[in-house]
Amino acid sequence: MKAFANVNPRDVKDAAAQLRQPNAVIVGGGSDLLGMVKEHLVQPDVLVNLKAIRGLDQVSAKGAEVHIGGLIPLDSLSHEPLIRKSYTVLAEAAESVGTPQIRNAGTLAGNVCQRPWCWYYRNSFPCFKNGGNKCFSVAGENQFHAIFGGGPSFIVHPSDTAPALVALDAKFRVAGPSGERTVPAADFFALPKVNASRENVLARDEVLVSIQLPRAGRGVRSTYHKVLDREAWTHAVVSAAVVLDMDQEVCKSARIVLGGVAPIPWHLPKVEAMLAGRRITPELAAQAGEAAVEGANALAKNGYKVPLTKGVVRRTLLGLATKA
Amino acid sequence: MNTLNQVGHASPRIDAQKRVTGTATYTGDIRLPGMLYARVLRSPHPHARIRSIDLSRAQALPGVKAILTRENCDVVWGSGDTRNKRYLFNNPVRFAGDAVAAVAALDRHIAEEATRLIEVDYETLPFVLDPEEALQPGAVEIQPGGNHSPNNRGERQPEVYRRGNIEEGLRAADQVFEDHYTSAHVNNAQLEPRVAIAQWEGDKLTVYASTQGISNCHTEIARDLNLAPEKVRVICQFMGGGFGNKNQCHDFDLMAALLAKQAGVPVKLEFTRKEDFLSVHGRWPTKQYYKVGVKRDGTLTAIQLRGYSGMGPYRKGSGGIAGIEIYQCPHVERSVTQAYTNIAVSANLRGPDYPQGVFGIESLMDDVAYSLKMDPVDFRLKNMTRKFNDQTPYTSIGLEDCIRRGAEAFEWKKRWHAPGAGSGPVKRGAGMAMGSFFSSMGRSSAVIDLDSRGMYHLHVGVTDIGTAAKTTMALIAAEELGVPLEKIDVIWGDTDRCPYSVGESGSRTTTHTGYAVVEAARDLKRQIAEKGLPQGSQMLTATANTNPAAPTAARYSFVAHFAEVEVDTELGHVKVVKYVAAHDSGRVVNPLTATSQVKGGAIMGIGMALHEELLYDKATGLPLTAGYYGARVMTHLDAPEVEVLWIETEDAYGPFGAKTLGEPTIIPSVAAVANAIYNAIGKRVKDLPITRDKILGVLA
Amino acid sequence: MSRISRRKFVEGTGAGIVATAVPLKGQTARTAPVTPSVPHTTIQVTVNGERRKIEVEDRWTLVEVLRDHLGLTGSKVGCDRGECGACTVLLDGRPVYSCSQLAVWADGRSVETVEGLTQHGQLDALQQAFIQHDGPQCGFCTSGQLMSAKALLNHNPHPTVDEVRHAMTGNICRCSNYNRYVESVMAAAGTLSASARRKA
Repeated sequence: MKAFANVNPRDVKDAAAQLRQPNAVIVGGGSDLLGMVKEHLVQPDVLVNLKAIRGLDQVSAKGAEVHIGGLIPLDSLSHEPLIRKSYTVLAEAAESVGTPQIRNAGTLAGNVCQRPWCWYYRNSFPCFKNGGNKCFSVAGENQFHAIFGGGPSFIVHPSDTAPALVALDAKFRVAGPSGERTVPAADFFALPKVNASRENVLARDEVLVSIQLPRAGRGVRSTYHKVLDREAWTHAVVSAAVVLDMDQEVCKSARIVLGGVAPIPWHLPKVEAMLAGRRITPELAAQAGEAAVEGANALAKNGYKVPLTKGVVRRTLLGLATKA
Repeated sequence: MNTLNQVGHASPRIDAQKRVTGTATYTGDIRLPGMLYARVLRSPHPHARIRSIDLSRAQALPGVKAILTRENCDVVWGSGDTRNKRYLFNNPVRFAGDAVAAVAALDRHIAEEATRLIEVDYETLPFVLDPEEALQPGAVEIQPGGNHSPNNRGERQPEVYRRGNIEEGLRAADQVFEDHYTSAHVNNAQLEPRVAIAQWEGDKLTVYASTQGISNCHTEIARDLNLAPEKVRVICQFMGGGFGNKNQCHDFDLMAALLAKQAGVPVKLEFTRKEDFLSVHGRWPTKQYYKVGVKRDGTLTAIQLRGYSGMGPYRKGSGGIAGIEIYQCPHVERSVTQAYTNIAVSANLRGPDYPQGVFGIESLMDDVAYSLKMDPVDFRLKNMTRKFNDQTPYTSIGLEDCIRRGAEAFEWKKRWHAPGAGSGPVKRGAGMAMGSFFSSMGRSSAVIDLDSRGMYHLHVGVTDIGTAAKTTMALIAAEELGVPLEKIDVIWGDTDRCPYSVGESGSRTTTHTGYAVVEAARDLKRQIAEKGLPQGSQMLTATANTNPAAPTAARYSFVAHFAEVEVDTELGHVKVVKYVAAHDSGRVVNPLTATSQVKGGAIMGIGMALHEELLYDKATGLPLTAGYYGARVMTHLDAPEVEVLWIETEDAYGPFGAKTLGEPTIIPSVAAVANAIYNAIGKRVKDLPITRDKILGVLA
Repeated sequence: MSRISRRKFVEGTGAGIVATAVPLKGQTARTAPVTPSVPHTTIQVTVNGERRKIEVEDRWTLVEVLRDHLGLTGSKVGCDRGECGACTVLLDGRPVYSCSQLAVWADGRSVETVEGLTQHGQLDALQQAFIQHDGPQCGFCTSGQLMSAKALLNHNPHPTVDEVRHAMTGNICRCSNYNRYVESVMAAAGTLSASARRKA
């Protein structure tokens, strides 16, 4: 690897200040970052090691909300009893990432801010994500690329926790040199037509410090369904984060956010509207699946994601609604 | 039934303790005083002429001690290409990953940085990725003389095998079936990345290689560097797999040696995993066009294969497509063309000619059986080979038992049904495939020293790539000598101390080297009878250099694999839920390790069937899926439980009747899975790998 | 938890080396110099129960330090990208890819490698089971498989087959000897006695 200095900041303010140095990058768990440095996708002179800051990895109930420190390892998050019970979709999403070794090191914030796994990007093609002005997947091997929201880049957002957090209406606490700000999860991610070189609104000198979840209602149940490209250890081909607020057998309201289909977690408000106030029968779940893919734009090789998405939405909704 | 004392009994590996304690020394674990680290700079283009190379910035980097390029090194790597001259550094470079320079430096980080400081001026050339396209007129010429790689007789003609008259056979058929299949480039992906350490002591060169064949490596290094054989030593005590890509010396062994010579100190040359995927070799991709003629009653009249293998730009492998020889049929024609392409080189990967060819023919024969409303098992029993090429008797053939007993253990009748039957969306299906693999006899050597303490020191040139070869050799020696296993001390992996061995490839170690071990043991027993046991510092030494005549009969191992899959037709997901592998490898020397081999080969085959491909971007000729993540190599959760059934036949050849074992394990597995998927969903995917998008595609 | 430590740039040449290099199998001990002008840090890490103090370049991975500078070559580098598991060690008791950890992040923490499994010349129950049930073929993934299995049995001494497979998912075996590894771990779990079990 190229030479760099590892800096252990005292606190978040110190970290943000360190990030202003030229060629300084954040590192959380480091799993993805070190690989990117080895591949010369990132060429840092300074690694700002957020793990050194105490207290950024805790889960705590604060009044009506739950606060999760961004540096919590995914394994810890997935086993946290409060998260498993009341925010199951997030626990399941965290648990679906990688392997035990990756989950022991990888953090929630790191997973949310992860760079794309498009094979053109990761093989250093001079694309939008690599400082270029082209997307090679458009006319190339686009089996795993976007069917929604694509253009000019057609990457899919690689995070599993991101769709879960959007489905949970999470709020992100972001810290910078001038203080902290709160960004709703849905506003954190940016479409390529807004900015093709980045996936979120985090500035260079900002840190995703914590994630706040609203109180989970009593009738709320949720789940994360991930389709992988072998039995384990891949990013989502298609995934669905579903949160249902149930009153007996009636779905009062639903939140459905897809992964693996768009450059940002893909929210389905039309499908949610279809379900509000209704019983989720097999027929309705099937209709929801159909509605979920309305407006999909398949590329030459990813058309299969359309029936796949239909199936994932249908099955996840029905399974969650009829769960004992 | 087993009357032997050692052979045929489950024996833990004699070196297992070293492997489980982290004390086994693999090549990468070795550090020598003053050792430098080396890295290789590789072409970023699939085809390009090098106009100039500027080393000045690399040379100026502190810690850089030696650099090789074509300008100061014109060594030919003899084993890198059997048809063309392949240098260590070629111009033009012919695939993305072709070596351009090698740098030795104080540590690996400096070496890597130095490669990035080398400035190369490339003139990019057109490139071609597909073997059939490469053969079209107007395709860019990759090697002088054209892209049709010469056959074994040096002609730019296909490799052809014929018996009978194919046109007559097709005319005699009641029905002719025609179809075509493709298979992808699959990497060996052994866990140990390539590495070599070279050290000169005066004019003697020692190479610590990661190799399946120290003898081959030794001969080839001496040849390529123009050294007397006694001035070369190759050492490999432990190595982390190869599956066929480590049986010769490699260009980087030679680069390490030359860098070490230039720098005057030992050099360790290391590969990254991506380099290992791109710059060694993998299984050749194929395109296969078949015609099969059959009578109404299911008797075969004709089999025709026209095949194309993409070899990459250097001819390192045979490029064959095997599989049809498992069938009895009067009229057969196989014509296979090997073409140069600008992708990663193709050469040996476990059963090199077979799994892809068996996938093709067994997919088509499955369709034939279904069309005739025959049970696929019955179809194979009817048409399976009885004599090699319908002409030469086999030394032993347990194929029928493999099929019958395998089917029974698998509960074929219960699991198999009409294709696509069953209500969805999750459907189960059963498929099977059969195969055979040549079990050669050939040259090898063994030396046994007996000391006065009663220890037998067995010198064999094996390295044990994971096949348990050391243990097998020890068992054979113990059996023939009539002594406990603990009395055998195996000395291996060092050409200064071990005689010639064929190298662990072609599944030949047990048969070739094991045979030599038996002969050496017999000679030793004769000496003991003659001279008595050694006393004090005396040693008795028995040497065997054997090259038994091949039997006039054909010597093959036989296999039949059965797979049951669950296909989720809504999500396109395939899971193997039951797997039975029936094997005739003659007498099984060590059932413990042999069974592990079968399980491993079958699971590798499932990966080849469902996932693995080195995918190239067509516009740029650059690879996209090099690496374990990209290749989707099978994990613990992907691997089903594989049940292994041994059909032991009596074979008069080889040590204790042992036949080839390691490679047959993967030969029918791809086809068995493909046929199971067909049975489940009633639709066939004919292009490997059978990925989710293709399944959803045929179901749409 | 990690202590906060400051990295220092060392100017010029002649940086002092405090590496405690271990003689390798008869080779003379060789210290491993950092390159002056490359950022480096002195760390203290407990390896297999033993406190080690070593000067490392900030960019050196944990596996690199273990193998090349502490003489512990049992952990292997299969891909250096966190895609294969051959480098798996326990960091504060949890399995991680040591190729994807910087050594400096292990400052003040504890690392367990395969070399630590053998205690006083006695093989761990897992190691014995791996031998009896033919766990290793080529053996290159074996150290990593052992460490993942060890972590599992440390907190779940009697796992199901499914739990074993899930716990070891992050360890690729290209010899594809998965059946045998699972068999070995189940066998070891069956024979674990109270004394062989580590406290989690």
